[in-house]
Amino acid sequence: MKRILYITVLALGFTSCEKFLDSEDYTKKNTGNFPATVADANQMITGIYSTFSAAISNPQNTHFYASELASDDRFGGGGENDKDMQGLDHLMNTKPSRFETYWTARYQGIYRANIALANFDNITGWDSEAQKNQLRGEAHFLRALFYFELSQLFGEVPLIIDPVAENLPKAPADETYAQIAYDLQEAVNLMPAVPYTSTTSGHATKWAAEALAARVFLFYTGYYNKTSLPVANSGGTIAKDQAVSWLEDCISNSGHDLVSDFRNLWPYTNEYTAADYDYVKSNKLKWEGDGNKETVFAVKFGTSVDWGDNYQLGYSNQYLLHFGLRSNNGGEDTFPFGGGWGAGPVNSKLWNDWRQAEPTDIRRTGSILNVETDVENYIYGADSQMEETGFWQKKYIPIRAYNSEGTLVNSYAVLSDGASDDMQISHTQDLILIRFADVLLMHAELKEDATNLNRVRARVNLPAISYSLEALKKERRWELAFEGLRYFDLMRWGDAASALAAQEGVDIKNKGIDTKMKAFGGGYKARYEATGGFWPLPESQIQLSEGVMTQNAGWGTTNAEFPGW
Amino acid sequence: MFALRWAVAPLIVFANTPNLHAGNLVTTHKQAAPVQQTISGMVTNSSGEALPGVSIQESGTSRGTTTDNNGRYSLQVSSPNATLVFSYIGYESQNVSTAGKSTLNITLADVMNNLDELVVIGYGTQKKKLTTGASVQVKGEDIQKLSTSSVLGALQSQSPGVQIVQGSGMPGEGFKVTVRGLGTIGDSSPLYVIDGIPGGDINTLNPSDIESVDILKDAASAAIYGSRAANGVVLVTTKQGKEGKLAFNYDGYVGWQNPYKIPSLLNAKEYMSIMNEVRFNEGQAPYDWASLIPKQYEQIMDGSWNGTNWLKEIRNENALTQNHAINLNGGNEQSKFTMGYSFSNQDGILGKPVQPVFTRHNFRMNSEHVLLKNDNFNVITLGENLTYSFSKKSGIGIGNIFWNDIHNMLVGNPLLPVYNENGGFYDQASKVADGWALDGATANPLADMVYRRGQNISNNYALFANASLEIQPIQNLKFRSTFGYKMNASSYRQYTPIFTLSTTSSNPEDDVQQNQGSGHSLTFQNTLSYLWQLGEGHHFDAVVGQSIEKWGMGSDLSVTNSNSIFPGSWDNAWITNTKGVSGATTTLSGAPWGEGSLASFFGRLNYNYNETYMATLILRADGSSNFGKNHRWGYFPSVAAGWVVTNESFMQDSKDWLNFFKLRASWGQNGNQNIAGWQYLATVAFDTHNGYYFGNNKGDLQTGGYPDILPNPDITWETSEQLNIGFDSRFAGDRLGVTFDWYRKTTKDWLVAAPTLAIYGTSAPFINGGDVENKGIELGLTWNETINDFRYGISLNGAYNKNKVLRIANAEGIIHGEENVLSQGTTEMYRAQVDYPIGYFYGYQTAGIFQNTQQIEEYRNQGRGVLPTAQPGDVIFVDTNHDGAITSDDKKMIGNPHPDFTGGLNLNFGYKGFDLSVTATGAFGHQIAKSYRSFADSPLQNYTTEVFERWYGEGTSNKYPRLTMGSHTNSQYISDIYIENGDFVKIQNITFGYDLKSWFPKMPFSQARLYFTAQNVYTFTGYSGMDPEIGYGYDQSWVSGIDLGFYPSPRTYLIGLNLKF
Repeated sequence: MKRILYITVLALGFTSCEKFLDSEDYTKKNTGNFPATVADANQMITGIYSTFSAAISNPQNTHFYASELASDDRFGGGGENDKDMQGLDHLMNTKPSRFETYWTARYQGIYRANIALANFDNITGWDSEAQKNQLRGEAHFLRALFYFELSQLFGEVPLIIDPVAENLPKAPADETYAQIAYDLQEAVNLMPAVPYTSTTSGHATKWAAEALAARVFLFYTGYYNKTSLPVANSGGTIAKDQAVSWLEDCISNSGHDLVSDFRNLWPYTNEYTAADYDYVKSNKLKWEGDGNKETVFAVKFGTSVDWGDNYQLGYSNQYLLHFGLRSNNGGEDTFPFGGGWGAGPVNSKLWNDWRQAEPTDIRRTGSILNVETDVENYIYGADSQMEETGFWQKKYIPIRAYNSEGTLVNSYAVLSDGASDDMQISHTQDLILIRFADVLLMHAELKEDATNLNRVRARVNLPAISYSLEALKKERRWELAFEGLRYFDLMRWGDAASALAAQEGVDIKNKGIDTKMKAFGGGYKARYEATGGFWPLPESQIQLSEGVMTQNAGWGTTNAEFPGW
Repeated sequence: MFALRWAVAPLIVFANTPNLHAGNLVTTHKQAAPVQQTISGMVTNSSGEALPGVSIQESGTSRGTTTDNNGRYSLQVSSPNATLVFSYIGYESQNVSTAGKSTLNITLADVMNNLDELVVIGYGTQKKKLTTGASVQVKGEDIQKLSTSSVLGALQSQSPGVQIVQGSGMPGEGFKVTVRGLGTIGDSSPLYVIDGIPGGDINTLNPSDIESVDILKDAASAAIYGSRAANGVVLVTTKQGKEGKLAFNYDGYVGWQNPYKIPSLLNAKEYMSIMNEVRFNEGQAPYDWASLIPKQYEQIMDGSWNGTNWLKEIRNENALTQNHAINLNGGNEQSKFTMGYSFSNQDGILGKPVQPVFTRHNFRMNSEHVLLKNDNFNVITLGENLTYSFSKKSGIGIGNIFWNDIHNMLVGNPLLPVYNENGGFYDQASKVADGWALDGATANPLADMVYRRGQNISNNYALFANASLEIQPIQNLKFRSTFGYKMNASSYRQYTPIFTLSTTSSNPEDDVQQNQGSGHSLTFQNTLSYLWQLGEGHHFDAVVGQSIEKWGMGSDLSVTNSNSIFPGSWDNAWITNTKGVSGATTTLSGAPWGEGSLASFFGRLNYNYNETYMATLILRADGSSNFGKNHRWGYFPSVAAGWVVTNESFMQDSKDWLNFFKLRASWGQNGNQNIAGWQYLATVAFDTHNGYYFGNNKGDLQTGGYPDILPNPDITWETSEQLNIGFDSRFAGDRLGVTFDWYRKTTKDWLVAAPTLAIYGTSAPFINGGDVENKGIELGLTWNETINDFRYGISLNGAYNKNKVLRIANAEGIIHGEENVLSQGTTEMYRAQVDYPIGYFYGYQTAGIFQNTQQIEEYRNQGRGVLPTAQPGDVIFVDTNHDGAITSDDKKMIGNPHPDFTGGLNLNFGYKGFDLSVTATGAFGHQIAKSYRSFADSPLQNYTTEVFERWYGEGTSNKYPRLTMGSHTNSQYISDIYIENGDFVKIQNITFGYDLKSWFPKMPFSQARLYFTAQNVYTFTGYSGMDPEIGYGYDQSWVSGIDLGFYPSPRTYLIGLNLKF
C-alpha cells in the first residue's frame, strides 16, 4: 500500500511537472516561429545591415580604415600609443587578434544572410514578387559584399553559405570569388530595375549590385591575373563584357548622376557651418547631403548612440572621430575641422604629385586640408601626434558649426539631426562605399574608353584627355582619394610595392619634432612582398579552429610585429 | 499499543507500524506513578545569570517543563529518586538525581562545541555528534558580537573552507563567497537557504536576525539541495521564539571609520620633476611650466601651494557607522514568537562630497503556534517567518579603469586645483581663465566623480515570508508543508548635470535616469519524516519530500532622458521634470525578468547503531526549466558513513584523554543549473544593438532581428562530485576539539559560454564545457576552559585548497580574459586554462632591469631573447622558451589569485562581568595584480611615491624600469612587475566588554553590557596597496585580486551597548 501510494504521488508529480517546467521567452522569438511575415523579413534584413555598425564600433580594425592608412596616400598618425594606426601604415601587426571584431562582425552578417536566404520560402503575405525579390537580392548583395571585403583584406577565408556551424579551412580564392559572383548575379537578376529614388537610402539596389560586380571583377582579374570571374553553382563565368554591360545599365537606368560641384559631396559645405566658413561662402557651395544622387551604396548612421549600454558605438560614424584632428586642435582655431584621434595624416607626396599633375584641380583643396593655409592656428605635435605632415583629408573628418547661441558644437549633425553634442558620437555622415564617379571610372577602365573619364573631369573643369591606363590611375587617385579604394587599386594594378615604398623618407613630425618617415620590419616593399598585401587572421580564431585555419603568409613572426617608433 | 487520545488517527497511512521500543527517541505512555513529588529551583549560567527557557525533563518519562524568565522552574516528578535532565542550547546538559530533595539549583556550563547540539542539515536537524558530512555551524551570537553590518562580514573568520572576500570596501557592497575553492567560471555562489526556503539573499538580513548559520561544505551534506548545491549550501536560521516571559533586548553601537592606509602620491614639485624626467628619457625638452600653468607655477614656487592630493580631498573623516537592533521574544508552550527591528547605517570613508551611504531597515516577525497537542507531543503546529528589509545606498565608481573614482584620484593631476576662486569646481572655464595649458584633456577628477558617478540612489525592498504547517499524527511521524513567498523590488535614480571639465570631458545635456523593477517568486515544499528504531540500537530517521519553485515573475522598466527643467538639481532629477524626447538622448526599456521553475523530489535516510556507526543516504531529483525537455531531470545521490571510535570497548582505556573521536567519509554529487533560460532554443533577438538607420532621418533606428545564439539542445546540469574524509574529536576533558577534513571536489561540465569560432556567425551557446578540481584540507581547533571565574576559549581554523582546471571544451583549452584591464592597449592578463588555477595571472616573467648596454649585449651574445628596442633601464623580460626572442610565447603564469591557505583565529576571555575577544583572519600564497596607474591612457597621470624606486642610472633600481611614455613595452607588456604577493593576516576585531549588571546588581536589566570594539585594527602584510583583501576581478565572478585602486575597508572604533530586560 505504501508503495502504491508513493508511485501514485510520484507519477502525478512527474506528469504535472513537465508542464510546470515549460517556460516561454516573451522578448525573443525562435527559429521555429521566425521569420513568418513580411515584417519579420524586414527585421531579418535589417539585422544583416546592422553588422556594418557592429564592425564600425571598433573602426581601426576594419577594411575601410586599413585600406586608408595602409595606402601610400596616408600615414598612420595618432598619438605615440596608437601603434594600431602606425602599424597599419607599415603593414605590420600590433596584437595577436587585432581584426577579430571586424572578422566577427562580417561573419555575423554572413550567418544572418545565410539564415535569411534559407528562410525566404517560409514567409507569407508578400505584397508582390518584386518586394520579395528586392529583399532576397539585398541578402545576396550583402553576403557578396562581406565576402569581397574579407577576401580583399585577408586573401583566403573560410566560405560558409549555409546556416550551419562548421569548422572549415580557408577556401581557395577562386571558390570564394565564384560565390561572390554568384550572389551578385542573383542580386542583379532579382532586384527590380527601378530608379534609385524609389528605394530607401541605405538599402542595396540592383545598381549597387552591378557596380559592386564590376569592382569585384576588376580586383579579381587584376590581382589574380585572370580574364574572367568564375560563377558558383555552375553559373559559368562573368566576362568583361558582362561587367561592362552591367555598368552601362547602371549608368543609363539607375537615376544616379554626378552632383554639380565635387565639393558639395562633403559635409564641410553644409549650411550650418557655411555661415561661419568663408571657403564655402565665397565658393557658393552647398552640401548635397547624405543619400544624394551620386551615392550608389553607403553605410548609414544615426543619433541614438552610446558606448554599448543601450546602443552601438558604430551607429555613429567612428571613422570621423579617428580621422579628426588630435586634441588641442579641433577647436575654434581649426574651425570648422573638429577633434579626434589624429589617424591617417595625408602624405605630402600626394599633395605635391597632385599639384604638379593638375595644378588647377579644385578637388585637391576640396579633399585635403593644408593646416598652413586653411585654418587659423594649428598646433603641431598636439597630444603627441605622430607621423604628422600638416595635411589632413577633408572627406571624413568632424565638421563643426556654431549654434544659434554662438556656441561651437561638435558637429553640424547636432544642429541638423539632433545628434548628441559629443565629439565621439555626434557623427552621422554616410560612409559612401560606392560612388557614381567610381562607376564611371570603372566603366572607362574596363572599356578603355575616355568618355566617362572625361565626364568626371568635366565636373571639375579639367580638360578632356584621351584614354590611357596611366591617366585612368591618376584620375582614380584624385577623384576617389580617401574613399577606401586606393590601397586595393594599387594591389590590383600591381603597383603596391613600389608606391608604398615611396613613403619612406617623406618629411614628418613626431610629437612636433621633425623627422622622416622610416621603414620598419624590413621596409614597405619587403612587407608587401611577404604578405601579398593581405592582413593577419585573428590568432584566437586560428587557435579555436584547432589548426584547421592557418595564418596568412608573412604574419605571426616577430618581425611582423610593429615595434613602435 | 498506543494510547491515542485524539482524533486524527485516519491520517495514519501505515498499515503495519513497526514495533517501537522505549528509548530516548520514543516516549511511550506509562501509567502515572502513585508517588509524586514537586522539585523546584533555579537554573543559572556560570556567570550567575538566570537562564530562561531551559528544558527540564524527568528521565524515562514524558514529564517536563522549562524555566521561566527568572530561570525558575517547578516540576512534579514520579518518584523521590527521579533523574532530571537539564538541557539548553549552547550549554552542556546535566543529569541530576533528585535524591529526595525538593530544591535543586543548577548551574549549566556553556560549551562552544557541544556534541549534543543540533545542527541544521536541510529539511531537518540532527545532533552534531551524529553528522556524517562536513558542515560548519556559526551561532548568531558569534555573528552579532563582531558588530558588522553584514552577516557575511562576520562569518569571515569563523568558517574554515569558506572563503569570504569583500568585493569592495564601499558600504553596502557584497562579498564573494567561495566554498572549498572556485568550482566554475559561471555562478559560483553557494545556495542560501533562509528558514528552509532556498534562494534567499543573506544581504537583506541584519546580524541581529540570525539564530545560526550552517554551511554544508561536502557534497553528501549538500546533496539534499541537489541541483543548486554544487557550490555549497548556506542554511540560515533566523531567530525563533522561545517559551518564557517576554524578553526585550537592545543591541546597538556607534562607530567612527577612517582609512587604514592611504598611498602617498606625488606632490606638485615631485610630479613636475618626474614628468620632466619622462620627457628627458624620451629625448624631449622639459616642460615650460611657467607658461603652461602660469598661475599655479607661481604658487608652487613660492611654496604657498603643494598641489592637490586628490585622495585626501575625497576623504570623509570619522565616517559614521551605526547599528541598532531591538528584539522582543516570548511565548508559552502554545504560542511562541519573536519580533525584531534593526537599523543599520554606514557612511563611506572615501568619496566626499558624495560619499557612499548605505542604510538598511529590517523587520522580522517569527512565530509558532500549536493548534493541537496530546500529552506527549504536538500534533498540529503552525508557524510563520516574515522578514522585510528596506535598504538604500548611493555610491561612487568602483569598477574598471574607466569607472573607478579611487583610481581617478590616484592618477589625478596634482597641478590642477580642486576649486576655482569663486568656490566652484576648477573646470574648463577655470583652466582657460588661468591659462592652464599643460593638456586639454586633463579634467578635475573630483568634479568628474561628483558629476558623472556621484549623484545616484538605489533602493531595495525585500519581503520574505513563509508559512508552515506541521502535522504529527503519531509520534515521530511528521508531515510538514511550507509555502514560501519572496518579493523583491528595486528602484534606481541617477543624475548627470551639464558640465565642461576639459576639452574632452563634457556633458552638453543633462541626463536623468530612473529604473524600477519588481517581482516575486514562490516555493511550495512538503516533507514527511519519521524516526524509528529497529531491534536493539538500530535508529533510523528518514525524510522524503517534494518541492516546486517558480521564480522570475517580475519586470523591469528603465528610462533615461535629458533636459531637466531644474538643471543641476539632484533633488528634482526625475523623469517627469525632463522635457522632450529624442532618439539621441532618450532611452527606454522594459522587460519581464524571465520566468523559470524547478520541480524536485528528494529523500534522506539517516541510520545509526547505538550512536557508534552512522550512515546517511540522500537522493534528489530536480527538473529545471533552464534545460530542454530531454535534459531537464538531474539526479543527485550521496552516501556518507561515520564511526565513533571512542564508543568501542577497546577505546575505553584512552577515555581520559580522548573523549570523543568520530571518523567520517562521504561521497556525493551536486548540480548547478544557474544559467539564463532558453539556451536550448535557437532564439531570435530584437534589440537596440542590432538595428540600423535607413533613409536620411537619422533619428529612426529600425529594429533588426537576428539569431542571437547557436542553440545547444543538449545543455544540462553542471555536476560537482566530492569525496570527503574527516574526523571530529574532543580531547582533554572535552576542552580541546579537533576537526579535520580532506576533500576532493571535481566540478564537471561547467555551464560556460566557451568561445567558439567567429565564423559560426553568432554567439556561443552555453555548453557543458569544463572541469575543475579542488583538493584541500581543513582543520579546526578549539580550546575552552573555565577556571573558577575565568573563562577562555581559543579557536583556530585553517584551510588549504588547490584549484586546477582539468578540461575546457575548445581546442585551445582556454577561456580568455578581458583586455585593457590594467591599462588601455594591454592584452589579456588572466584566463582559465587547463592545468592551471581558474583566473590565473598571465604575462611575462621578468628578471630585473637592464643596468647597462654591456649587460644587454651579453644577453644577446648568449642567445637569450632581448627585445630589439632594449636599452639600459628597460625591463628584462625572460625568454622562457629559449628561442632567442621575446614573443608572446614566452608568457607564463605569473600569479595565482587563489590563496593556498586561509585561516581564522578567535580568542575569548571572560572574567566575572568582563569579556575580551580578538578575531583575526588571514590568507596566504596568493598574488595580487596591482596597477594604480594606467600607463598608456595618459602620460600625465600622477604616480604614487613608489616611482622613486625607478631606474634612473646604473645601479639605481632593479625593480622598476626607467620612466618612459606609457606605450613603452616596459609598462604595456603585462609582466610580474605588476604582481605582488598578497599574504596577509588581519586583526579584524578586538572587543572589550563589561556587564554593568555585575556592578549594579539592582539594575532592572538582566544584562547591561557596554563594549568597545576596534575593527580592522592591523594588517600584517607585505602588500604595498591599500588593502590586501581584494575580491575585485574586472566585473567577473571567476577572477579576483585585481587592484586598480580598491575601495579599502575602514578601520573602525565603536562603542556599543547590549541591554536585556
